[in-house]
Amino acid sequence: MPARSARLIAGAFILCLCACANTPQTRSLLESSPGDLPRHGELVEVPFFPQDVFQCGPASLAMALNAADIPVTPEILKPELYLPQIRGSLQVEMLGAARRNGAIAYQLAPELSDMLREIAAGTPVVVLQNLALGWYPLWHYAVAVGYDLDRAEIILRSGLEPRQILPMKTFEYTWARSGRWAMVALPPGKIPQTAEPATFIAAIGAFEKIGRPALAQNAYTAALKRWPGNLAAQIGVGNTAYRMNNLSAAETAYRQAAQDHPDSTAALNNLAQTLADQARYEEAVDAARRAVSLGGPLLRTAQETLSDIERRMRR
Amino acid sequence: MTRQYSHFMRWTSRVVIASMLAMGMPQQSAFAGIVEADQIVAHELAEQDRARINALIDREDVRAQLQQKGVSASEAKERVNALTDDEAHKIAGKLDQLPAGGDVFGLIFTIFIVLLVTDILGLTKVFPFTRSGRR
Repeated sequence: MPARSARLIAGAFILCLCACANTPQTRSLLESSPGDLPRHGELVEVPFFPQDVFQCGPASLAMALNAADIPVTPEILKPELYLPQIRGSLQVEMLGAARRNGAIAYQLAPELSDMLREIAAGTPVVVLQNLALGWYPLWHYAVAVGYDLDRAEIILRSGLEPRQILPMKTFEYTWARSGRWAMVALPPGKIPQTAEPATFIAAIGAFEKIGRPALAQNAYTAALKRWPGNLAAQIGVGNTAYRMNNLSAAETAYRQAAQDHPDSTAALNNLAQTLADQARYEEAVDAARRAVSLGGPLLRTAQETLSDIERRMRR
Repeated sequence: MTRQYSHFMRWTSRVVIASMLAMGMPQQSAFAGIVEADQIVAHELAEQDRARINALIDREDVRAQLQQKGVSASEAKERVNALTDDEAHKIAGKLDQLPAGGDVFGLIFTIFIVLLVTDILGLTKVFPFTRSGRR
């Protein structure tokens, strides 16, 4: 091959590498790290499960769940998670399996600083990496348990390595290729350091569907403590009480919600339903009428509740 | 576009569509007459979902493919913004269900998004969860 074209190809290759070489979050973290973020941290007590072939998903989730005091092994999780066709585990299944085993699963915002904040707050973070390249992917789940901003390193429980130390840049390359996917699994009642209210309420909502209302209620109560007066959390506290057939507790929660949020159709609608279930039809109809008069996207639900109560009254 | 390439695209599209249809849609169970807590945050989350879909439309490969079909990115985004909360949420939910990480082969992901956008615009109707355009 003539030297000139070889140089040209090498140049093009390096150009391509440079174009791909982009670790903006590492750079901004190292250049100006937030003052409230500790310089380093490591969760040494997070247990390690070495993975079997292709079993990085079950192993990683088992480590995160054990750290949340939920004793499971990768073998227990394997049937819930592992898909032989893709020789791996899907992200949605990781979140779902965490919930089914009693943890609130929360997907973090795709920010390296959020990941470090969770570690600093004592929560290990399950991450998805693509260890190879976009067109030749090698998907891998690992658990981030530590970091050091001064040494620019991330510490992971990964594969067969209980303490893998990766340069922060290398970590970001592999993580960015997965769309910066990261999740935490926490016992209901604990809230991720970086949680956003709407997203976190939705995460509790997903957990609620596994049918353990007492645990879901712990989570809503904690959310209400973190974000006082949050309407969705108030409704959640009421709904979980309603599910456990504790109608007076549900009523209290809905009344508080209706008082704090006079324009909430949901609070009045649920209050009306709860009163009707206690055969207090006059009060129920009153609440339901007020819910209907507020209108909004829940208008149809409120109308149905009202006509349902009126039907029950006539009986 | 060469014949082999378009054949490949057609084949890949079919695989994508089949796998999307096979995944089904999660149904919420609800107590009659009770508004769920996650219904209350649905609107706020749908706004985030719209932003996410719009960001995908901005991807260069998606833009190029759309242009080829005579669709401008701004037109596509306008339509995304007009999706109902529920639609935006279902569509964004599909993005999370793409096999391990989304772009197993970048192309599959691109095709998925292009089909998604043309669906939203009413040029195609491949996904059960999109409402075809009314224009």
